[in-house]
Amino acid sequence: MQTLLQKYRATSFDSQAVVKIMAILVGLVVLASIFSQGVFLQPKNLVNLISQNALLIVIAMAQLLVIVTGGIDLSVGSLVAISSVLFVLFQDYGMAASIFIALVVTMMFGLVNGFLVTYVRLPAFVVTLASMQIISSVAKVLSGGGAIYAGMQGAEIPAGLSAFYKNTLLGIPYPLFICILFVVLVALYLRSSTGHYIFSIGGNEQAAFLSGIPTRRVKMAVYVISAALCCVGGVLFVARVGMGDPQTGAWIPLDSIAAVSIGGASLSGGGGTISGTLIGVVILSVLNNIMNLLGVPPTLQPAIKGLVILLAVYLNSARKQN
Amino acid sequence: METQPPVLSLRKICKSFAGIQVLKEVDIDLYPGEVHCLVGENGAGKSTLIKIMSGAYQPDSGNLNYLGDSLNNLNPHWAREHGINTIYQEIDLIPTLSAAENISLGIEPLKPNGNIDWPVLRKRATKILESWGASIDIDVPVSNLKVACQQMVAIAKALSLNSKVLILDEPTAVFASSEVDLLFSIIQKLKSQGIALLYISHHMDEIFRIGDRVTVLRDGILIRSGLVTEFNKSSLVKAMVGRDIDLSQRNGSQSFGEELFRADGITRSGVVENATFSLRGGEIVGVAGLVGAGRTEMARLLVGADRLDKGSISLHGKLIKVGSPRDALMQGIGMLPESRKEEGLVLVRSVSENIAYSAVEKASRFGLVPWGKIRRLVNDVIKAVDIRPPRPALQVLYMSGGNQQKVVLSKLLLAGCDVMILDEPTRGVDVGARMEIYKIMQQLKNQGKAILMISSDLPEILTQADRILVMAKGRIAGELSANEATEEKVLSIALQLGEAI
Amino acid sequence: MRTRLSPRLLMFAEKNSALMALIIVCLLGALFVENFASSLNLSAILFQYAIIGFLALGQLLVILTAGIDLSQGAQVAMISIVTAVLMKSTGIVPAVIGGLVMGALFGLINGFLVSRTKIPAFVVTLGMLGVARGLAQLFSDSKPVSIDVQSFVDFGRSNLAGIPVSAILWGAASLALAFFLGQRRLGRHIYAVGGSEESSRLSGINVKNIKLLVYVLSGVLSAVGGIIWTARLSSGSPLGGNGYEMESIAAVIVGGGYMFGGIGTVSGTVVGVLLFGVINSILNLLGISPYWQGTIKGVLILAAVALSQFRRVNRSR
Repeated sequence: MQTLLQKYRATSFDSQAVVKIMAILVGLVVLASIFSQGVFLQPKNLVNLISQNALLIVIAMAQLLVIVTGGIDLSVGSLVAISSVLFVLFQDYGMAASIFIALVVTMMFGLVNGFLVTYVRLPAFVVTLASMQIISSVAKVLSGGGAIYAGMQGAEIPAGLSAFYKNTLLGIPYPLFICILFVVLVALYLRSSTGHYIFSIGGNEQAAFLSGIPTRRVKMAVYVISAALCCVGGVLFVARVGMGDPQTGAWIPLDSIAAVSIGGASLSGGGGTISGTLIGVVILSVLNNIMNLLGVPPTLQPAIKGLVILLAVYLNSARKQN
Repeated sequence: METQPPVLSLRKICKSFAGIQVLKEVDIDLYPGEVHCLVGENGAGKSTLIKIMSGAYQPDSGNLNYLGDSLNNLNPHWAREHGINTIYQEIDLIPTLSAAENISLGIEPLKPNGNIDWPVLRKRATKILESWGASIDIDVPVSNLKVACQQMVAIAKALSLNSKVLILDEPTAVFASSEVDLLFSIIQKLKSQGIALLYISHHMDEIFRIGDRVTVLRDGILIRSGLVTEFNKSSLVKAMVGRDIDLSQRNGSQSFGEELFRADGITRSGVVENATFSLRGGEIVGVAGLVGAGRTEMARLLVGADRLDKGSISLHGKLIKVGSPRDALMQGIGMLPESRKEEGLVLVRSVSENIAYSAVEKASRFGLVPWGKIRRLVNDVIKAVDIRPPRPALQVLYMSGGNQQKVVLSKLLLAGCDVMILDEPTRGVDVGARMEIYKIMQQLKNQGKAILMISSDLPEILTQADRILVMAKGRIAGELSANEATEEKVLSIALQLGEAI
Repeated sequence: MRTRLSPRLLMFAEKNSALMALIIVCLLGALFVENFASSLNLSAILFQYAIIGFLALGQLLVILTAGIDLSQGAQVAMISIVTAVLMKSTGIVPAVIGGLVMGALFGLINGFLVSRTKIPAFVVTLGMLGVARGLAQLFSDSKPVSIDVQSFVDFGRSNLAGIPVSAILWGAASLALAFFLGQRRLGRHIYAVGGSEESSRLSGINVKNIKLLVYVLSGVLSAVGGIIWTARLSSGSPLGGNGYEMESIAAVIVGGGYMFGGIGTVSGTVVGVLLFGVINSILNLLGISPYWQGTIKGVLILAAVALSQFRRVNRSR
């Protein structure tokens, strides 16, 4: 008969990390319930919580993939912005065409990111920092500077899309479905023959290369996939606020890195899980909630987020000592 | 020389790593104004000994005596400041700073107002270097200088700190002969200044040219120590090598299949020159040679980790292209790299992941991986190879060296390699695991696979290999069959000695 | 393993590629762009880019140790608020001192985390960026804080012989820093740490404290930038400084700095700042949408980093 502890030890180290974070989440949820006098745990509130974070969840998936390979993507916010702009701009040609164009453009940028990091061997954060600027300014040019509400020739955003965020199916908001869809897709990718390579590439690129893994191809692909996920995020954004905004997404890089770090991924690569990242998003959200309930001014929240990232990264790097 | 007391004395030094004893009660004395040569095969314990002398390692037991005082808890910083300096092969200068700055780093001369006195700083550098007759540009970043010049700057730096002991770890490994001459004239000058020098080298002629005293280590034990004049080349080699090997340990079938693998004229300029050999199914071919002979470099070329300048590789008689390790693996050629932690394993991931990486792609269709089947295969191989502890989810970094090595082997097995190139398969592995790895190799042999085994452990090569290739200076300098090979023969080819022993 | 042919010539070309670019761009501007060569415009460039200039000096120090400071822009905003708020209740001098001290403290935290923990510098300063923004918004209630002290504002906008005072201050700071890096032991040790931490440690250099120092200096220099910015706008704004660190990093790299430490000069950085200032001015005068400027700057920094990588690979054996 195995004790619970023995069972715990027998699981993979990644799963162990998730269990630890779960514990933190549970603790926070308890706190939140206390502060909100039980309101927090109501199903409506919880569902709301997740659907509000649909965008962040999708982006966090993207960031997770890049971070596991040992890189980082600071351009995710600007990719969301440009995708939202393109999506609205090309509405005249129909939803399918506008999504397609947005996808192509964002993936192109992702390709450039990946190329510079993998083949030119520039540090990922410099590349994505620079591309963030570039993408952001291109987005502004395309939209004429401010937000846009209609396509080039005046086509409006379809009403169905605007209602997207408000409608529910079986009580679950549509955005949540999209969210789940992409989380599942990412999970499938990680279980595919090329996807799971990112762990070894991030853990020890030399060893991965010598083991016959096509390291450069996979590393590049990850940045392209990240861009594609950001495109999805851009569409979600438009669905929620009804406009394309080139200035949005300023906090997305920070938030997504926070979620991934809290979720147990190490910034040097090689570790991290989807479930951990999801919990990371939820923890961030619950933290927000708690701060609101406690009356902490919203302006301090970026500061707290920054501190939380530092703490999470510090704990993760300390954990890696062998 | 001998009339003065030793500057640095080590007595009964013992050191173990992970249960393997690397130094057993070694004594050594360094006298002022003397060049003391330290010789031994790879793995004899030389680099561990000098690391203890420089303070990088602490001995498990034994004591050090420096200038009459006992040393406790020596650390590299203290050693450097008090006159014990080591010049390693990896030169520890600041590559972006000039030679002049490097020589005075940390002790830059200052003007009364606190600014650096550049003329004095430069003069310090030129004074030393010119007194040696070395013409080195002291103002360019040292990374721009030739390696030999960098060594000399490193030595100059050591001297500017009033060295009393200078340890040189295989300094001439990449030198041209004119540079060796310059180094030796510098060494003569250092001797006349009363500095005690410890010189580690494989080059016999250098030892007899510059050495005053020599100490031979073998398997961590002090074998002989005395004046260089008491030895000649063959007696020195015998001391380095002479041990009894139980030749009856050799086992395995003696029937070989047809030619499985062939390397023709493998060349990479400056590193490997015209290597040609073949492997038959069921054969274990050992590759012996000194450090720097080009064995690992050749292995990397064979699996496509580095680019070939010239040469070809054939499998089953057909020419194949090996442009990357991926190509090699897809065609059944796998390598166990020399440093498993840096190149062979993803330490932070689990055993099963490390084993399965190379095999996953072959097993999957349209990107879908049959994880259940892979899991079963991994478990099977863990059992077959007897990896301990048999926990597939355990992170590899928690395993012992021997088991880590077994993980790498399992990876090659699962990838279905017919040709395996093993680079130092039992380095840093305890005796028990070593035997198990030999057993696995024998099993593979019996299955008809071809193994190329690079090893610095001569007894290991002599017992395990059916045939031995000896490399020296990037070439295959000789080939011996198992029956005719002896340690001395192998070593003398490796050292490129003219006379037969 | 071969000695490079005339390494000095190569180093000269590398070091001066930015300068040559600057000269070329200035010539092109003078020839083809109306109003570019006017003293008014040149003065405006200096006026505007003196702030980035201060940031770039701090960034140079940090990059020399193979670090990076992504929080500079946020610090500018935070310091501007602190200075403005203090000036409302006290005088100019306490406000300025308060701002500088705040910058130093912030840099101290950055430096402490970078030197004493394993957290990578870009994560530390990214996190602290958030903290700085938050503090800026907290102290200002998310609204700009106006300054009524006219003498302060006047000083910020004044000229001396046609050159903005802020630019003169920047010039003086650059000279002082160049002197420090070239003539003082501590300055040379900063280069040593960037070149090889391990070798520096073995030579007795206190690597941790040097790393700490450069972030403190970056904080102080960002504070100076923030104070000047506040004077220029005659108010403190919590939203300002966006993307400033990008430009300061770009200036350092374009000026010959190396991301992985050990290489970079004050003169190169100054040229880099001027180059961006001139390009900015030309783009404005040509009427190019400010939105494209982000693209151009981003492309420039990528090109600069790629080139510096390329140079590095070619330089070593």
